[in-house]
Amino acid sequence: MSLLGMFWNQTVCLLQHFRGRKNRCYSLAVRAVRRAFVYASKARKAKRRSMRQLWIQRVAAASREQHMKYPALIHNLLKCSVALNRRVLCDLSITEPRSFQSLTALAHARRTEGLRAALGDGAEPPGVFSRITQLQ
Amino acid sequence: MSSFSRSAQQWATFARSWLLIDARMQPPGKIASVCSVRLQGKHKPIYHPLSDIGDHVVVMNTRHIAFSGNKWEQKVYSSHTGYPGSFKQLTAAQMHQKDPTAIIKLAVYGMLPKNLTRRTMMQRLQLFPDDLLPDDILRNLTEELPQPREIPRKLSEYTQEERDAFPMLWTPLVDYKRLLPNF
Repeated sequence: MSLLGMFWNQTVCLLQHFRGRKNRCYSLAVRAVRRAFVYASKARKAKRRSMRQLWIQRVAAASREQHMKYPALIHNLLKCSVALNRRVLCDLSITEPRSFQSLTALAHARRTEGLRAALGDGAEPPGVFSRITQLQ
Repeated sequence: MSSFSRSAQQWATFARSWLLIDARMQPPGKIASVCSVRLQGKHKPIYHPLSDIGDHVVVMNTRHIAFSGNKWEQKVYSSHTGYPGSFKQLTAAQMHQKDPTAIIKLAVYGMLPKNLTRRTMMQRLQLFPDDLLPDDILRNLTEELPQPREIPRKLSEYTQEERDAFPMLWTPLVDYKRLLPNF
């Protein structure tokens, strides 16, 4: 059981696509494989960040199609205690456009109620959607 | 739409549409931001930076854009070819005189993401100084985007009834002309 043989047996599928002598020569390959593993570990954390960023961009695009901005949508859904996360909102906006449209309508209604409550002097009765209590 | 076959639905979703925007009396920065959003495809819920889902954007009447403030004289476009003595600085007015589409082109170029897809997106942007568009582009157009700025009406465009109906903000003196400064 030579270490060299073990190395090549275990990593040949990983370094086939490396450039130059890094895919053939042991000393260069060892360093390249270690760097590749480090990049893969760092990327596993960054993947979660970039996925969330993509979801936010997609939800923002879909809400702008419905004449609403992303921060307003998220804040008002939170105030209505709708606990859908960005991943689910993104999937809804792509595959279930009508459901997403109704969510934006809900957020818009809650927003206008909030604005009316803020600008008015409290003489009007409080709105329907603002009666939902906050999540604990 | 749900009666389409799957392949037809996919084709319709990922198709690249041709959008028109009229830049008459609009600030070029606002036009450019609208263009850049559409060219990248950020207005679509299926956006991904690698998927190349931007649309074509055609901007007409770029000769009639309207900078706010004194930007026609104060905004400076600088360029340097790298050779000594070739540092050029042009005001926006001079730039516009030389090439009526250059201001919007540079604005959009600066607003797109600074990567290799920027050049392809710029290829998909068509700029025309007047509202004369070639036939093949006219045939491709699908949608007109609303103008970002509401154009205020000139005093001459108000009817006499509207002018009379406007409320008096203060009562002027009978002989106000005496108090006007004469230069």
